[in-house]
Amino acid sequence: MKKTDHHARVPLAVLLPGSAATVDTLDDAIDAAQCEQLIAYGLAPARPVRVMQQRPMTIVMIDEVELALESSVARHIWVSRA
Amino acid sequence: MSTASIALVGNPNVGKSVLFHRLTGAYVNVSNYPGTTVEVARASACFDSGIDLIDTPGVLTLPARSDDERATMRALFDEPLRALVQVGDAKNLRRTLTLTALIAELGVPMVLALNMADEAKARGVEIDIAELTATLACPVASTVATGGEGVAALTRELAQARAPGALLHYDPATETMIGRLAALIGAYAPHPRLAARGLAILYLGEDSVAEAWLHGTAGVHADTLKAARAEARAAGVTPAALAHERGEAASLIAARVTRRRADAAPQLAQKIGRWVIHPVWAWPILLGVLAAVYEFVGVFGAGTLVGLLEENLFGGYLNPAVTGFVQQHIHIGWMADLLVGQYGLWTMGMTYALALILPIVTTFFIVFGALEDSGYFARLSVLSNRIFKLFGLNGRAVLPMVLGLGCVTMATLTTRILSSPRERLITIFLMALAIPCSAQLGVVLGLLGAISFSATLIWLVAMVAVLILAGWLAAKLIPGRRIPLVTEMPPMRLPLAGNVAKKTVGRLKWYLIEVIPLFLFGAFLMFLLDKAGILPAIIHASEPLVTGWLGLPKEAAAAFVMGFLRRDFGATGLFALSSQLSPIQAVVGMVTITIFVPCIASLMMIIKEQGLKIASAMLALIIPFAFLVGGLLNHLLHLVWA
Repeated sequence: MKKTDHHARVPLAVLLPGSAATVDTLDDAIDAAQCEQLIAYGLAPARPVRVMQQRPMTIVMIDEVELALESSVARHIWVSRA
Repeated sequence: MSTASIALVGNPNVGKSVLFHRLTGAYVNVSNYPGTTVEVARASACFDSGIDLIDTPGVLTLPARSDDERATMRALFDEPLRALVQVGDAKNLRRTLTLTALIAELGVPMVLALNMADEAKARGVEIDIAELTATLACPVASTVATGGEGVAALTRELAQARAPGALLHYDPATETMIGRLAALIGAYAPHPRLAARGLAILYLGEDSVAEAWLHGTAGVHADTLKAARAEARAAGVTPAALAHERGEAASLIAARVTRRRADAAPQLAQKIGRWVIHPVWAWPILLGVLAAVYEFVGVFGAGTLVGLLEENLFGGYLNPAVTGFVQQHIHIGWMADLLVGQYGLWTMGMTYALALILPIVTTFFIVFGALEDSGYFARLSVLSNRIFKLFGLNGRAVLPMVLGLGCVTMATLTTRILSSPRERLITIFLMALAIPCSAQLGVVLGLLGAISFSATLIWLVAMVAVLILAGWLAAKLIPGRRIPLVTEMPPMRLPLAGNVAKKTVGRLKWYLIEVIPLFLFGAFLMFLLDKAGILPAIIHASEPLVTGWLGLPKEAAAAFVMGFLRRDFGATGLFALSSQLSPIQAVVGMVTITIFVPCIASLMMIIKEQGLKIASAMLALIIPFAFLVGGLLNHLLHLVWA
C-alpha cells in the first residue's frame, strides 16, 4: 500500500491564500542576513504561518504581523501544510 | 551632556519616537513606516531635567546587522545609561521578548513598555502583565503612546527599573562557551555598565559594534578573545543557533502570558490594509490616491493658493508697494535693481520662495505626512516592487523617491532607510537625475499645462523613460547584489491631524531655513553675474549648445546657470521666457532643466552622504546627459510634431 506523506514540504510561494502551514526550513539560497531577518520576524522553523495573498507578493501573517515577501524569497522557505 | 541617560530601544515601528515625544516634549519625526528614525535623538526628560532621553533607531535583530542597528548598539555602549526602556508591540509579544532575551543579558536596569495596547486589545490579544512582570523580574507597563495612556505609569515605573533575570539558559555546551568568553571579557575588556555575559553573547553573535569595542579595549588580548570565539564556532555555537534559542524562549514565554480571544473579527483597518494591496483593487485605489494628491497639491496648492498669493497678494499689492517704496527712497540705480529689478532680491528671491514655492511644498508635505501615518507607503512599496526590481532596487525605495517629489534634498537624507550602500547610491543618483522636486514640478506643470496636455504628457513620458533607462543602466553597471523585498506591513491607521501638522511644520521649517537664504543668494548671484557682464558672456559661449543643439532662444542659457542654484530657479527662468517659446522649445527646455543638475542644497547632501568623489562623478554624468536627452528630444519632436 502506498504510504501517504502527510508532511510533504512545499515552498511557501505555492500555498493558496487562506492556507496555514508550519515553517520547516529556510534554504541556503536566502542570503544569511536576510535569513536572520526572517527568523526575527518569526518565519523560523516550527513556527506557524498563514498565507494571506500570493500576488503581487507573498503576504503572510505571523502572530499579528503582516509580512510581505518577494517570491524569490518565498520560494526558498519550505513549509509543511497544517 | 548630562551625566545619566535613559535609552528607548525596540523593534521598528513600535512607537519609540512617539513615546520619546511624550517623555521629553521634544519632537522627532515619527511615522507609520518602519525605519523612520535613522539617527539617535536626544532630549532632556520632562520628569527629570538631569536625565537625557535617547531615542534609537528600531532594531529588527540584535546582534546588529544594519546601520540603524549599529547606531542603536553604539548608544548602548557609549551612553552613560541609567536605565533602558524597551518599547515593544503589545500584539507581537514573541518578537518583543526575542529582543528582551538579549537585552536582559546586558545587566542594565530596564522597564518594558508594551505599546499599542489598544490595537492588541482590538485584535483580541490580551497579555497578563502581572505574570509577565513576575517572569521578567522587571517592571512592565502597558501604554498607548499616541494617546498618552500609561505614560505616567511608565514614568513612575522608571524609578523601579531593574535588570531583568536571564530569560533563558542556552544549551549546556553553549553555556560553557559563553561562560568562558565572559570570564575573558571580565579580565581583559570589562565594560563599565554592560555585563560581561551579555557582551560575550553579542560577541558570539558577531555584533560588529561589540566586536570593535572589545577588540579595541582588550588590546593585545584581542587574539585570546578571537581564539575563544573560533573554538565556540567550531563547536557549533553560531549566531543563528543563539538567535534560534532566544526565539524559542521568547515563544514559550509569550504563549504563556498571552490569551487570544477567538471571536475577534478582522478590524476595518485590517480590511482596508488588504484592499490596498489586493491584486485587482489595489490599482484603482492607487489611481484614486494619486488623483486626490493631484487635486490637493496640483490644483489646490499650485493653482488656487499660488494664484491667490502670487497674482493677488504679491502681484497686486506687495510687489507694487515694495517697488514703489524702493524707487521713491533709493536713488542709486543698481541698488534699486538689486532689490526690485529683474533678478531682484525681493521681486525674484522672495516672491518665488513665498508665493510660488511655499504653497506647493506645504500642501505636498501635508499629503505626504498623512500618507506616511496611514501605513499606505509600506503597501506602496509592495505594489511598486516590480518596477524597482528593474532598477536593481526593491520597493522600499518608493518612500525616498516619493519624498523626492517634495524635496530631493530631504529625500537624499531619507535613503538611509535602505539597507545596502548600493541601493542608496542608485536611489540618490536616480533622484538627482530624474525626480523633479515639488518646486520644480510646480513650475514645469504650470508652463507646460498652459501650452497643452500633450506637452505635459511628452515631458512625463520623457522623464519616465529617462528614469527607467538610467535605472536599468545603473542596476547593470553598479556592482553588487539586489536585495529582495521583505517588509513588515504596519497596520493601516487613521492619520492624526495633530501629528501630520507637527510633521508638516517640522519639514517646512527645515525647508524654509534651507530655501530662503538660497533663493536670496541665487537672486543676488544672478544680479552680480548680470551686472558684471558674465551672464551675457556665458549666454554667448553656450549659444551653439543652447540654440543649435537644443533649439532654444539664447536667453535660455541664463536659466541653466540659475538651475545650478536651485532646480526650480532654472525652470522659473524658462517660465519667464515662456511667451517667446514654441511648444517644442518649452518641452525640450523643461525636460533638459528637469534632468540638469540637482540644486546646490541637494548636491551638498549628496556630498555628505556619498562623498565628494561620487557626487562629482554624478554631476559629470548628469550634465552632459541632460543636454544629450534635450537635444535628441528636440530633433525627434521636430520630426514628428512640427
